[in-house]
Amino acid sequence: MSEPKRLHPVAVLLNIIKSVKELVIPFLLVVVIPGKNEGIPGWVQPLVIAIIVLLLIINAFLRWLRFTYSIQDGEFRIESGVLIRKKRYIKFDRIHSIDISEGIIQRIFRLVKLNIETAGGAQADAVLSAIRKSEAERINAFISQEKSNNTNNPLDKDKDQVWGNEDAAKSSSVFNQTLPQLFVMAATSGAVGVFISGGIAFISQFDEIIPFKRIFKGYEDFIGMGTIVLTVLALVALLVVYVLATLSMVIKYASFTVIKTDEEIVISRGLLEKRQLTIPIHKVQGIRIMENLIRKPLGLATVYIEYAGGSMDDKESLSIMLFPLIKKKHLHKKLLGILPVYQTTMEMTSIPKRALSRFVLRKVLYIIPIIGALVWFGRPWGFLSLLLLPLAVFWAYMQYKDAGWGIEGNLLQLSSRFFSKQTLIMQRSRIQSITYKKSWFQNRKELATISASIKSGVNSQVGMVVDVEEKDCRLIKSWYLPKKAVDSQ
Amino acid sequence: MEPENRISNKALTVWKINGLISCSITWIISIAVLVLTIVFNWTYWVFGAWIIISIIQPYLTIFLIPSVKWKRWRYEVRDTEIDIQSGIFVIKRTLIPMIRVQHVETKQGPLLRKYDLASVEISTAATLHVIPALDLAEADELRHYISRMASVEEEDV
Repeated sequence: MSEPKRLHPVAVLLNIIKSVKELVIPFLLVVVIPGKNEGIPGWVQPLVIAIIVLLLIINAFLRWLRFTYSIQDGEFRIESGVLIRKKRYIKFDRIHSIDISEGIIQRIFRLVKLNIETAGGAQADAVLSAIRKSEAERINAFISQEKSNNTNNPLDKDKDQVWGNEDAAKSSSVFNQTLPQLFVMAATSGAVGVFISGGIAFISQFDEIIPFKRIFKGYEDFIGMGTIVLTVLALVALLVVYVLATLSMVIKYASFTVIKTDEEIVISRGLLEKRQLTIPIHKVQGIRIMENLIRKPLGLATVYIEYAGGSMDDKESLSIMLFPLIKKKHLHKKLLGILPVYQTTMEMTSIPKRALSRFVLRKVLYIIPIIGALVWFGRPWGFLSLLLLPLAVFWAYMQYKDAGWGIEGNLLQLSSRFFSKQTLIMQRSRIQSITYKKSWFQNRKELATISASIKSGVNSQVGMVVDVEEKDCRLIKSWYLPKKAVDSQ
Repeated sequence: MEPENRISNKALTVWKINGLISCSITWIISIAVLVLTIVFNWTYWVFGAWIIISIIQPYLTIFLIPSVKWKRWRYEVRDTEIDIQSGIFVIKRTLIPMIRVQHVETKQGPLLRKYDLASVEISTAATLHVIPALDLAEADELRHYISRMASVEEEDV
């Protein structure tokens, strides 16, 4: 276990892919955007590209060659770097979770990726991008064993059995997302918008290469067929994109299971790309319940865990879905099996009626200039924009209706809405600071804006409710302040 | 019910100097616009707009805002929590329990050093709070006091 080892050579390929991903945008800027440059001989561009590719491959190979890992004297050691030699030594008791996941490439070669997470998110953690499964399990078992000798930090023994042992997983699994539910989740998610905008951005990049004009020249009669046909085509295209986006979400979250052990929550998911996340329960800072425009009327919600950890390199680890889709009425029971500390059934205090006018006013103030501009520049159709006004008022009303707060025992719950309704539930001992603000206008109405910050990922998550009764703000404040230093624990 | 301590009187001077610096940038731009207007025969209303800004900005950033900000700024460090009040048009009140404080720093830029002032930065696991422009001795004392009171365990983020 102690002599330095290299990763599987497939890591070279992974390095190349990673570099290519990072280089896509500069590459487009250099190669695609300028198009045909006058005065530069035609062979220059291919040569430059060839050199870049060659450098990429050499760099990837050298990085693989230089990367070694070993386990010595209770430390996990990584030495890496081509020009600048880096040594990273991680003490076992600083390791708080070990995640094993498989990307597509790893699966082809029957390898896994091992992620060693430490407490504190700012520094990146140790990632072994391609090793044999048996090796990963050996490392995992070794570190677990070493750690369990340390009474200070008991690690459950059955963790390494969870992986690759379906029966064990079934028996202790507390939450499973069925396939039909997943389809509903994917179909009602906002991923479609991301997909469409991505597609548009992509096409506009290749605008200069694809001779749209020439393509459409032959189709002038086709354009002549009128707007109806084009509209239908556009709708069909949108539908196709929608279906694709939905499918990609389903593939990403397929076989979603949550398993709870004494100390940890293990979330695994994925069809082509398996991922497993381990979250130590004592790192959980709060939970966030999101109900978007489509799901809220259907009584459905998505639940996230806010936890102190994850790393900047891995965006997935910063926002963790606990339940991709769950009926709100089942939420309480399901959560009890996983994080019994958090109550979702507490009494909510809504914000006072006199706040409604402020909500409406805020929206109207934004919308009036927009409507004005549309009416002025877009006559006569611009007058249609007047319809935005009732829409804005309705939106303001929804925001007013969904805002509120609640306190029960050691829990604070803050709900607010922008488009989706967000409910943040936090334990008192996890709230880092509480702020309340009042503007001159709010002061006149005896209202204030309350916000509470908790740590989430490497940054923070803030729950905020605008226009709460000022009396209530003082109530929350006195609830928050420690009576004695003792009750922090 | 307001926190009892004010920040240093000299903070007002420092903020006014900061305002003066930002105003001088505006004035330089105004002069540049004037020159360009004369050279390229631009319409004069662009220059007019800059002139108006050059008059309003000093009033705001040198006279009004620093004094309002200074009057509003109050802080109090009790043995279990830190209570900070700030704001110009919006009064903002922040509470940080001592047990949440991870570390405290004092900082000094060139301007603050000239006036023997320092700002105190209080970090929790998730947030950063700054008390600007205290007397150096007071800032140091505060830093010592807070770090002595704040006994944070690594586990309890």
